[in-house]
Amino acid sequence: MAHPSQLGFQDAASPVMEELLHFHDHTLMIVFLISTLVLYIIVAMVTTKLTNKFILDSQEIEIIWTLLPALILILIALPSLRILYLMDEINDPHLTIKAMGHQWYWSYEYTDYEDLGFDSYMIPTQDLTPGQFRLLETDHRMVIPVESPVRVLVSADDVLHSWAVPSLGIKMDAVPGRLNQTAFITSRPGVFYGQCSEICGANHSFMPIVVEAVPLEHFENWSSLMLEDA
Amino acid sequence: MAGGEEAAGGKGFKLLGILDVQRTPCARDAILHGAGGSVAAGMLYFLATSRVRRSFDVGLAGFILTTLGSWFYCRINNAKLRVQQRVIQEGIRNKVIYEGTVLDPSNKPKADARSGSS
Repeated sequence: MAHPSQLGFQDAASPVMEELLHFHDHTLMIVFLISTLVLYIIVAMVTTKLTNKFILDSQEIEIIWTLLPALILILIALPSLRILYLMDEINDPHLTIKAMGHQWYWSYEYTDYEDLGFDSYMIPTQDLTPGQFRLLETDHRMVIPVESPVRVLVSADDVLHSWAVPSLGIKMDAVPGRLNQTAFITSRPGVFYGQCSEICGANHSFMPIVVEAVPLEHFENWSSLMLEDA
Repeated sequence: MAGGEEAAGGKGFKLLGILDVQRTPCARDAILHGAGGSVAAGMLYFLATSRVRRSFDVGLAGFILTTLGSWFYCRINNAKLRVQQRVIQEGIRNKVIYEGTVLDPSNKPKADARSGSS
């Protein structure tokens, strides 16, 4: 999850998010160098002793400052497109989960083998136990097996919502009457937090998402327990 | 995770307020190489021509080119290491899964292989 006053991305928990982090570093370095160049040019222009600056021309510099930005954009676009298509790959998911957005909670359905479904409400602040995170914890987590490809079908029951988990690099709109598909693999076990990312009413900020990645046997035990309780 | 930023090894130092050189892989080395390249290029140009302003321009160009070169060299090496790491992880995972079965790549074919084994 994010920590207080965090500006950067959260640590990646999926291969796609790792790629996004690397791409962000690459692009940010380019932005930093361009900013340095612009800052230098501003200082140089302010401190120059030249008086006849505005009726000059130079074909060489015109060519440079046309080709160089084009080259920079290509350097940014190629990895960007690579990741874009990488994110669209769906490689034989082991598990399909339906995430339905409601006002104001999420419900999850695991219907591959048995009919398992449950709602996931935010735990109110006054009911939190020490160590739990305010506005992020839920009564039931979406539990998945670690390092297994998982497909999530996102939809909504009433208004627009959006199912987002930043550390997995996922955000998918939940549209009533529409099924949106996304898939991911968690690289490591852990608990990953997200929040509804489409304005959906008074409690839009209070319908978080919690994904818990556990080893397969723990996932099987959890699903058996949940089926018994249902 | 309050204080996670401190726990990760000190607060990040952001150049121009945007580039976190402490936490971005290869950034610190690239900037240091760039600074060295900038000073070297600027000094050499000044020693050759005694032109102060143009030396600063050459220094900036040296900074940008050296930083970019160091950055891409380091990132490409890191990318190769990551690919190797993934191959090794996959191999370890497959070894655990396939060890002792007919799919084990380290199995040598035996003349008296048992049939029907799982």
